[in-house]
Formats: sequence, structure tokens, C-alpha cells
Amino acid sequence: MRRRGLAIAAAVALLTLPAVAGAQARLGKGSVEVSGGITYIGGYSFDERTAEQTANSGSTGAPFDFFTTDSEIKPVVGYRVRLGYFFSPSLSIEGGLRFAKPVYEVRITDDFENAPDSTAEEDLSQYLFDGSLVYHFGSGSRAAPFVYGGAGYLRELHEGETLVEEGVEYHAGGGIKVWLGSGRFAIRGDVGVSFRDGGFDLDDKSRVVPEAGASLVWVF
Amino acid sequence: MSRRALAAAVALIAALAVPVGAYLKLGTDVNGRTLTLQWRDFPVRYFVTNADAALVSAPQLQAAVGRGFATWHAVETARTSSEFVGFVQSRPFVQDGASVIGFLNRPDQDRTLAATTFTVDTTDGRIVESDIYFNTFFPWSTAEGGNTDRFDVESIAVHEIGHLLGLSHSALGETELQGSGRRVIAAESVMFPISFSRGNIADRSLKDDDIAGISDIYGTTDFERETGSISGRVTKNGRGVKGAHVVAFHQASGRLVGGFTLNDNGDYVIAGLLPGPHILRAEPLDDGDVNSFFDDDFAVDLDFQVKFHERVVAVPRGGGTRGIEIRVNPK
Repeated sequence: MRRRGLAIAAAVALLTLPAVAGAQARLGKGSVEVSGGITYIGGYSFDERTAEQTANSGSTGAPFDFFTTDSEIKPVVGYRVRLGYFFSPSLSIEGGLRFAKPVYEVRITDDFENAPDSTAEEDLSQYLFDGSLVYHFGSGSRAAPFVYGGAGYLRELHEGETLVEEGVEYHAGGGIKVWLGSGRFAIRGDVGVSFRDGGFDLDDKSRVVPEAGASLVWVF
Repeated sequence: MSRRALAAAVALIAALAVPVGAYLKLGTDVNGRTLTLQWRDFPVRYFVTNADAALVSAPQLQAAVGRGFATWHAVETARTSSEFVGFVQSRPFVQDGASVIGFLNRPDQDRTLAATTFTVDTTDGRIVESDIYFNTFFPWSTAEGGNTDRFDVESIAVHEIGHLLGLSHSALGETELQGSGRRVIAAESVMFPISFSRGNIADRSLKDDDIAGISDIYGTTDFERETGSISGRVTKNGRGVKGAHVVAFHQASGRLVGGFTLNDNGDYVIAGLLPGPHILRAEPLDDGDVNSFFDDDFAVDLDFQVKFHERVVAVPRGGGTRGIEIRVNPK
């Protein structure tokens, strides 16, 4: 909850900045943009799993519920760094790394032998290397909305870092850059969705994860 | 060690044998070292006694036993094989250098459906002979879909052949007291010591716990490369718990594989696990007679509550996750 509060606070700050800033971006073909900041990555749930034995019934038995697990990846705030190159004042390509340590939480219930309901957790290390195309609207103004889309490579390490799970990611979204002072620095805020296939996934199906980020941008 | 049902049991008689690992495997003491009991030469050559039981002829017994062997040989991650040599007049449980499987009438063993014996080379733990008998004190059937009034030969054969290959009993099952015995509510291992009810043929098929166990003894390089293990301790008030049953649940596949703590330090190892996160559950060994699993002088601690480990444990491919301590509480 505390991390979610941080993300919301950053977004509110971004929304208030255009009123106090008056700079314009110094963007053009060949400009390079470096940014770094925080990113909020939404959580997602997996299907319920029941540990089953074979019941002593009929000729071949039937499933017997031993205990049940209900699992989710918790939302997390991580970090990101990005490097962009402008083909024109409006169009750029950028690549970067997002890193987070989400918690995998399993609630265990309905034990046949009445073990108390409990929760087991694991810390994951999540790396996402990605590339995006970014289109800016109203480039040259102090507040430049943009949209982006791209793909990435997802690499997730389980606790102990002895087990790696890999996947692909596709993302799309939009945001705004608010240029400050001389126009070489900006604050960037964005929201989007991340479509993930592979990585750590109990259900073997793709999933949609909401994301939001706030970064400090430097252009040269 | 015996496998008991409400009024019947499948027993493993294994002089010299001591448990040495998860599932359990069988072992024998050689010069102060514990070696896993196993066959060194394949195929395992066996004979079948040319004697019938009510409704089951010797050829029908041989066919069911052959299917039982084939079930174990079909495990892709283990290398085992067998060869039926022929019918003989000799009976099982005679130490004659030949592995003989057949019916015996043992009314004195009125809680034993079937049993397996070994002759072991005590210099290296190699099995040189293993016999199996099916007790004709009980009614038997080889009907394809089972016979509700009779025990299924093939199901019991699969269990006993598991012993013949070196596996001891698994504790992956739930029972309830009924009269002077126990009734199985459910089990997820053919090697559970108490049989399913008459007419049930579920034990014709191996479960994941059985596959992990046989692969741990006779594993292929693929098995070693593609699976992993969890090891650690079960403790109570800081001291090791002996004889605790630890079950690993692989959420992605639903596989359940069990193991035991085998010493005063509470150490356990569960091998043959698929890569990925596992939920660990420790429980007292209270779903069967303790002597179904261990020798009488093995002091099992039953005084603790069922407990799930508070961390999800990831198993690496081809490696192990060590040092996982499960702290249980007294009852």
C-alpha cells in the first residue's frame, strides 16, 4: 500500500507541473534522451490450484482435495532507465530496462487435516529489457503528450536466483513530458498496459498488466 | 513393514533393509555405510509359480505381473527392465537364487495381501533375488475393470514390484481408523502402505511420487538434468523432528512428491521435483502404522501440528535448493 501511495503522489506532482513550468523542448533529429525513474507494475492473479489425491471410491477413484492454493503476483513499484534517439522532433526510438521485485503470494486454505490457513511468499526479481517507438504531439511546446508502443524480453528470477523464467512482452501507452528550465530537462509521466507471455506463469497464458511511471528526462 | 487395509495388508518383508532417502528408498548397511538397495543388472529375470488361485490362473497372474512390470519400465526418466523366464513349481519366499512370484496360502498373515522379500549382496547393496507372494487367504481378480468383491492383482503387483525394484513405502495418503484397522480415504502414491478397497484398480497407474522415487534410484541423465531437489530440516522448538513427512506441491503441474526426515537432526531431501515454485507441507506420520515405514527402533516424533512452510520454494532445473527449515509447533 505504501508503494502504491508513492506512485500516486508522483502522478499528482506531474499533473501540477505544467502550471509552473515555462520551458520548451530542444528536440530535433539526432537528439538523445536519457531518463530514469520509478515504475508501478500492476499485479495479477493465477487460477486457483488444488492439491489432489486419488479418493478410495469406485473402481478408479476420483479427485480428493488435499488443500487449495490461491496465488497472485502483488503490485510493485520498481525502477526504470531509458535511452532514446530522435529521428525527428516528433518521432523517437528508445530502449530501456525496467527492474522490480514483486512478491509472489500463495494463500493456502482448506487443508484436509485442518492445518491453519496460511500464506507463503516468494520474492521475484523481474527484469524487462524493451524497445519502443515514441510519437510526440506538439513537440516544441513545454508540455508534450506522446504515445508509445514496443516489445521487450522478460526475465524473472525466483528467490535464490537459481531458477530463471523467460518471456516476451508487448506494451503500449501514452503520457506527457513537461520541459523545465532550459528545455534540456523534463519530467515524464506515462501510463500503459503490458501484455506478457511467458516468464513466471502458472496458467501458461498471456496476461495484461497495467503500468504507470514517472521519470526525470535529460536531452542532449 | 506392512501394507494394511481394513482387513488386509500388503507387506514388505525386508530383512537388512533400512530407509535411506525420500519416498522411501530401501537401503542396507555395508561396513557402516548405508547403500541404496538396487538391481545392478537388467533385465530383472523372474519366474512365476505354476499355481492357481480361485478365479485367477497362473497364466493370468503372469500376465498381470507382466503389466505391472511394464508400468514401471514405462517411466521415461528411469532405466529398468525385466524378463519373464517361465513357469516353475518352486514357491516364492524360498532363497534359491531365482526371483519367483506366485500365490501362497498364508492364513496366518490375515492382514497381508502380498509381500516382497530380498536377498542382498551385503558387500555392495546389490539385490540378487527378490520374491513376491500374493496371499490366497484373500480373493483376487484380474478382471479388466476390476471386481468389486476382489482385490486387483495388477494393482497390488505394481506396488510389490515397486518394492522389488528398491522402493519402500510412501506416506502420501490419508486414512481413517475403522475397527481394528485403517481405511484409506485417499492416496497419491502406489507405494502407500495400505491398499485401496476391493474392486479398485487405481493403483495400476503410477503417481508422480512413485515416478520420482524410481527415477531417484535408476534415473536417466535427463532426469538428473531436468529435475531438482529441496533439502533442509524440520524443527520443533529448535530441535530436529525425526520421521516427519514432508510433501512438496508443484503448483503448475499439481504434482505431489513426499519425503521424510530420517535422523535426529530432522534432515530431509526430496528429489525428482519439477523446476518451479513449490509449497511445502510437514505433517506427522499418523496415517499408517509407523512400522509400515521404519524399523521398530526408529523413534518417530508424532507430536506436532501440520504446518505449511511460510516461503514458496523454487526448485532449479538440475540442481537443489538447500537449507529450507520448516518450523513446526507441538500439538
